[in-house]
Amino acid sequence: MGAWGYVMLAYGIVWGTILLYLSSLKRRLRRAESDLALLQAEEDTGRHEKK
Amino acid sequence: MPQRSRRKGTSLLGTAAPVVILIGLYWGLIHAPADAFQGDVQRIMYLHIPSILTAYLSIFLVFVGSCLYLWKREKRDDILAYSAAEIGVLFIALTIVEGSIWGRPTWGVWWTWDARLTLTAVFLLIFVGYLMLRSLIEDESRAATAGAVLGIVGFLDIPLIHMSVYWWRTLHQPPSILRPDKAPWENIPWALLTPLLINIVAFALLYFYLLSLRFRLGELQEEIKARKLARS
Repeated sequence: MGAWGYVMLAYGIVWGTILLYLSSLKRRLRRAESDLALLQAEEDTGRHEKK
Repeated sequence: MPQRSRRKGTSLLGTAAPVVILIGLYWGLIHAPADAFQGDVQRIMYLHIPSILTAYLSIFLVFVGSCLYLWKREKRDDILAYSAAEIGVLFIALTIVEGSIWGRPTWGVWWTWDARLTLTAVFLLIFVGYLMLRSLIEDESRAATAGAVLGIVGFLDIPLIHMSVYWWRTLHQPPSILRPDKAPWENIPWALLTPLLINIVAFALLYFYLLSLRFRLGELQEEIKARKLARS
């Protein structure tokens, strides 16, 4: 492998891994936000039913 | 910090980081000249040094969060330490991979049991262990306390890694920028130092963006747990 081959391998792995981590982080964040919204909605419904 | 200004900060970081990353990529891969001795393969330095400095910064925040948690017992400090540890593991692992790829054409080997490389591998194992410990202990308060102790101990590996090239005879070169005897510009020509500094800033911006997202995730997970607990 030539010098540029090693350079491209390193840059590809680094930026590919960072993008994968970022997308997994955003996915986890969206899931947590929707879980919290669901809990909030259930609590609101429960409060209405008590009234 | 109020939620609204934190969100504004996160979105500002999310805009600034890609711009500086693109400038860093252009400068490091196209604009900067090839190194006189190593040739183009030296361009891996523009990833390698920013990655390890980002890892050090992250583990320093694990240390700060851990100390504060053991002192004040506030969940917010534990979330900071846990978030920084997760991102720290990512950057330590990337540093090892980049170093290995750079080592093959310059040293002739992908890996060698050199003092700095071995201590960096131990550093990675400590923080992978930290993440495993956090997920294995069910009692949250105990997990946070055990994690804080390990986080503080793990941080102590940083001075060992940094000084290893002075204390032992190693294949790894001495530090390029953080040297006790020389300023960075006395050690590297400006043509190579400029892209390096741009990439350090790019990685720092990216790091704080990732940390703000991970910290928010930790806060949301805590809120979900608290609400579920209040119900049951």
